[in-house]
Amino acid sequence: MLHIVDDEEVLRDSLLWLAKSRGIPATVYDGGKAFLAALDGIGRAAAGQCALLDVRMPDAGGIAVFDQMAARGLTQVVPVIFLTGHGDVPMAVDTLKRGAFDFFEKPFNDNKLMDRVQEALAASERAAAGAAVRTRLAALSTREREVLDLILKGKMNKVIADELGISMRTVEVHRAHIFDKMNVKTAVELARLLK
Amino acid sequence: MKPSPPPIPSPGTPSRKQPAWRWLLPLFLALLFVTSLIWLPLHEKRQESMERQEQLVADSLWVEQTIRFQLQRNEESLSLIGTEIVAGYLKGPRLVGRMERLIRDNHEIHRIIALDADGRLLASTDETPISYRELSAPSRHAAERARMLHTPLYSEPAPDVTGPVMIDFHVPLFSHGKYIGCIVASYLASSILNDMVPWWFAQDNEIALTDMNDTLIYKRASGGAGRDVYTHTRVLNLAGLSLKLKTNSVKGAPRLLPSLLVDIVILLSLGLLWSLVALWRDINRRQAAETALREQINFRAAMENSLVTGLRARDLDGRVTYVNPAFSRMVGLEAEDIVGRVPPMPYWAPEAVDEYQKRFSQVLAGTVTPQGFETIFQHADGRRIPVLIYESPLVDGSGRQTGWMGSILDISERRRIEDLNRQQQEKLQASARLATMGEIASTLAHELNQPLAAISSYTTGALNMLARRQDEGAVDAVSLTHALQQVNAQAQRAGQIIRSVHTFVKKREPAREAVTVAELVDSVMTLVELQAQKYFVSVRTGIPAALPPVLADRTLIEQVLLNLTRNGVEAMQAAPPGRRVLRITAGVEAMPDAPPMVVVSIVDQGHGITPEVAERLYSPFFSTKADGMGLGLSICRTAIEFHGGTLTHGADPQGGTIFRFSLPALQNAPIDTTMPSDEASPVGSA
Repeated sequence: MLHIVDDEEVLRDSLLWLAKSRGIPATVYDGGKAFLAALDGIGRAAAGQCALLDVRMPDAGGIAVFDQMAARGLTQVVPVIFLTGHGDVPMAVDTLKRGAFDFFEKPFNDNKLMDRVQEALAASERAAAGAAVRTRLAALSTREREVLDLILKGKMNKVIADELGISMRTVEVHRAHIFDKMNVKTAVELARLLK
Repeated sequence: MKPSPPPIPSPGTPSRKQPAWRWLLPLFLALLFVTSLIWLPLHEKRQESMERQEQLVADSLWVEQTIRFQLQRNEESLSLIGTEIVAGYLKGPRLVGRMERLIRDNHEIHRIIALDADGRLLASTDETPISYRELSAPSRHAAERARMLHTPLYSEPAPDVTGPVMIDFHVPLFSHGKYIGCIVASYLASSILNDMVPWWFAQDNEIALTDMNDTLIYKRASGGAGRDVYTHTRVLNLAGLSLKLKTNSVKGAPRLLPSLLVDIVILLSLGLLWSLVALWRDINRRQAAETALREQINFRAAMENSLVTGLRARDLDGRVTYVNPAFSRMVGLEAEDIVGRVPPMPYWAPEAVDEYQKRFSQVLAGTVTPQGFETIFQHADGRRIPVLIYESPLVDGSGRQTGWMGSILDISERRRIEDLNRQQQEKLQASARLATMGEIASTLAHELNQPLAAISSYTTGALNMLARRQDEGAVDAVSLTHALQQVNAQAQRAGQIIRSVHTFVKKREPAREAVTVAELVDSVMTLVELQAQKYFVSVRTGIPAALPPVLADRTLIEQVLLNLTRNGVEAMQAAPPGRRVLRITAGVEAMPDAPPMVVVSIVDQGHGITPEVAERLYSPFFSTKADGMGLGLSICRTAIEFHGGTLTHGADPQGGTIFRFSLPALQNAPIDTTMPSDEASPVGSA
């Protein structure tokens, strides 16, 4: 989902239309405040997200919005692309260093912008997936983490039981729990997930 | 006024030591003079006193002799009478007659009596005859002695029965050795002095007759009492009687300063001494004043030498009589090269000579203004120095004006700072203008960015859609229509923005009126002169009065004139002074197949225009000046062309450049009164 944040109605509309022409789902916000209000919901949404922020807006400028997102740790999940007028380039470069995805100076090449938007959506999906795996890993117990590490090294249950000084049976129980918690069926699947 | 203060001898010890011996001789002479002044009167007094004493002695001697001679003569007369009595020749009345005659001739004799041997009276000159008994005792004693000694004798002075002190002269008469009587002549003691001493002597001296015991017998003091200064005593030896004749001058001791001459001499001497003292004091004062003056001169010399202000004194003929070191430094000439010179001065800049002459004649006429005036001097190395001169009259001790003193301030630094300030100000204004232009451009760009960006997005989207739908075989007409409508609207909006800028710039409509070139030139002449004065350029105009008027925007054409004249003046900065002339001429040019044009030419005699510069002369943002914006000529040309004329330039055959612009003459020149808005900005200066 592409979030277009601009105070100019014409620009919002033209960008929305452009996104639609590339098959990118998009929503529009008429200012930074409106976008910030919707931000929590956006952060929890599963699909790829991206925000197009105009640097200059009357209520809350793009930079301020970006700072808010950074504070909530959302800049990975919702990559930000800035749209700048003339003379805002140094400011935009500064935001790049702080984790913004990209910036475009007006007037911009529209299709290149849309290409970067798609890349940002993909990056968002990856970031969201990574975040999910980290959540599942966090659910494992200490012993389960030890067993997981040895499984990922490709060791058999017996070897794992020997190394940890526990019974085979216990290793199997742990293994079943790990697969269950990580939502996988096989060790190969598990390895791919944690690659 | 001296050319320069004379070298001042250091106020040192030699001049202080001098008086010690210099005063010795006058002091010695003064002492000698005083000594002789004291000694001379004393000496003279002694001399005079001796002379007087001698005179008194001589006079006294003479008086004494006179008395004695008189007495002797009387003695002889009486002896003769006695002889005749003895001879019996004289008797009775004849005797008396004889005696009376004697008394009559000799007043000093008081009376004469003749006595016989028994002392009876024979004859007497007195009415009341005195008897022998009635004679005083000393008289009788003298008579006894005379009879005994057979010689006439004088008696001691003594008062007789009648009262006064008498001295009797007894002449004993003997006949054949027998005493027959005597003749007694009585002298009044007083009449000896009163009748026998001459009056002139008595006038000057107190004369006293005393006996040998200094008992006073009689004193004559008709001239006053004696002073006991000059005295003399003579012994008057008479037969049987010795008396002392004492003379005592009534004159006192000679006064120390007796004569007027001496008085005058002393007075004069005192005066001399006083004037000596006065002179001495005056010299002291003078020396003190000299020292003070010397210190003052030193002080002033130091002051003058330390001044950075140049000082120049001139006499009434304009001859320089003095310059201080600061002035010499300022013009780079030695004081000797300037002092004594009459105009033209070596430090006059050739281009400003007229101004100097005018100023100089003003100064000589005395119409000089106390507040300073600015001009330029030429340094010895040819550099020009802007200076500020203040003149004030130079007055001598008697209040007569002897010349003029001028203080000259080198204001190059001030001028430089002023120029710098002005340049900075201009630069600041220029950058401010640029900043404003930048601001406008920025705003414009931002305003145009929005619709352009929208248009770009719509069209890209539309193309995307068309490409995709072509694959699928159908195009969403509704979507495309929306996009294209939006594109149209945004394009309209961009056009609106451009139009609004036009309207904004267009607001200042040119005001055209019929004016003559002469009016236009007149109205800017003050400013042109101001520019020209700075570089000592003279401006000459040659505009015929009969020129037809032109229809023009006054402000624009004035700006064009200002711009072109300024360029001309600045082009002559480095030209020799004689060539710094800017000419503004005008005339009518009529081509056969074109309306008549009024042509204005601005002719300078400056450095000219090189072909490379000429190529880009009217291009905007091209300038040969360090601080120029390069808009002046470009705007000038636009302004003139807008009026329907042309702006051209060419090289002046005499050197320099001619800028020429033409404007259509009014009578038959149809003129477009609207002006393209992008040319309406006022003419700036290059």
